[in-house]
Amino acid sequence: MRFRGFGGFAASTLVAGAILWSFMTTDVEFSRLLSAGPRIAEFLGRMFPPDPTVMREIMKGGAETLRIAILGSLGAVVLSAPLGILASETMVSPPLYRTVRTLLAFIRAIPLILVAMLMVGAVGLGPLPGIIAVAFHATGMLAKFYAEAIDGVSRAPIAALESAGAGPLARLRHAIWPQMAPVIARDTIFRFELNLRESLILGIVGAGGIGFYIQTYVRSFQYDKAASVTLAVIVMVVAIEAINVALRRRFA
Amino acid sequence: MSPAVQIDDLSFAHPGSDLPALERISLLVPTGESVALLGPSGAGKTTLLALLDGRLRGWQGRTSVLGASLDPDRPPLRARRPDTGFVFQEFALVERSTVLRNVLNGRLGRMSPLRALMGSSTSHDLETALAALADCGIADLAERRVDSLSGGQRQRVAIARCLAQEPRLILADEPVSSLDPARAAEILTLLTGAARARGATAMFSSHQPDLARRFAQRIVGISGGRVVFDVPTSDLSEEATANLYRDTERMPGVGLRAVS
Ligand SMILES: Nc1ncnc2c1ncn2[C@@H]1O[C@H](COP(=O)(O)OP(=O)(O)OP(=O)(O)O)[C@@H](O)[C@H]1O
Ligand SMILES: [Mg+2]
Repeated sequence: MRFRGFGGFAASTLVAGAILWSFMTTDVEFSRLLSAGPRIAEFLGRMFPPDPTVMREIMKGGAETLRIAILGSLGAVVLSAPLGILASETMVSPPLYRTVRTLLAFIRAIPLILVAMLMVGAVGLGPLPGIIAVAFHATGMLAKFYAEAIDGVSRAPIAALESAGAGPLARLRHAIWPQMAPVIARDTIFRFELNLRESLILGIVGAGGIGFYIQTYVRSFQYDKAASVTLAVIVMVVAIEAINVALRRRFA
Repeated sequence: MSPAVQIDDLSFAHPGSDLPALERISLLVPTGESVALLGPSGAGKTTLLALLDGRLRGWQGRTSVLGASLDPDRPPLRARRPDTGFVFQEFALVERSTVLRNVLNGRLGRMSPLRALMGSSTSHDLETALAALADCGIADLAERRVDSLSGGQRQRVAIARCLAQEPRLILADEPVSSLDPARAAEILTLLTGAARARGATAMFSSHQPDLARRFAQRIVGISGGRVVFDVPTSDLSEEATANLYRDTERMPGVGLRAVS
């Protein structure tokens, strides 16, 4: 695609200006840039061979990350159920669901790592701030998904069951729930996968989990140990992805 | 025996609409009769059937169904609702549930609230549902999900759900509109046959006068919310039928209402 006319000219000037500005105001010395390559190579060299003796720490940190993801997700589900209803067009009035949706958009806009730092400040180090941060951050997305699941329910079968004499609970159980449940299950699993992946690095800011060991080993120059933990994190991410692909196939 | 449906001077306008959808309708349907409602699009057929099902509020006049008068201001007692069965124009099935579950849903109003909530049907509920499936010729589809069915198969599920409800009055809104002629005749044979076998009254709306003649004992013509004729099938003239559809062409107001 080619840029055309004044708009195109303005856009390219803006991009060029932004790049120039970044170069001029950041202290990027050409000599340092040249030596960066060998330095990185040397750094990577010090990571090899990865130190396998940290298996215990990996298991401990990995289990903690898993716990943070599970409990954080649980918290998000508990928060998202009422917020999802309050953000649904079919359940509440426009002023209310618009307000709640705006609130959820704000929550989504705050990066998890930032929430985690704030929570560490508020409740101290350890998995607890991680759990709270995950629950808070994930609710921004999950409540929105739940609201969409509620709004996607078709009304006609509900009216049909009412016409047959079914009470409100029976209608919820047999007309609303069957339409909503698969959507909610799929969205919740999707969000859990994101939570697990994102909480791997929470330890870097002191909010618990396997990331704590990466930070500790890098700070104490034990790069071979940091390498092992990093490899473990990569393996976990790939495993999560593989499980997710398998699950998606089941819900397709 | 009281008539299945008795309507006296009934008028109704949909909320937000100035034009009445039903105007001064009077109608008497004896128990056990099969009645067809004919009329052009927008005539008020769906509106009339929904009103008899107790789903519309704010009408004028007097209407009683199965010996109990309807209240224009509040829905019928839940205990009465299973007695009136409705076959919806768009089926209104739970797409992700199985055929059997959908047919069992027709029995929810006849179960105890706890059983209805738990979805634990008695063996009688199950037998009734399976019999309805067999009557509709879809016993082999019981475990299939509705979203995997064809339009004609869905139509049968919708009718089976209504029959499983064991209604004494069957209201069917264009139950054959989406079917080919052979299928349509089959479905109407099924519907009116099932009603007769159960001693139930049936009212169905249709756009096909020839099918109405074949399957109804009485035919009611509606146009612009009014009853234009109400005759035994044998007395219905070709001319009356033709006029029913021609009238609307001369009445632009009705045509417009059908669009809006
Ligand atoms: N929910 C509604 N709100 C307002 N007007 C409505 C509503 N439903 C129907 N109407 C109007 O009431 C009139 C009767 O509609 P109705 O659906 O009963 O016609 P019908 O005879 O069933 O037509 P069709 O053969 O097309 O199904 C029409 O003018 C229609 O526009
Ligand atoms: Mg209609």
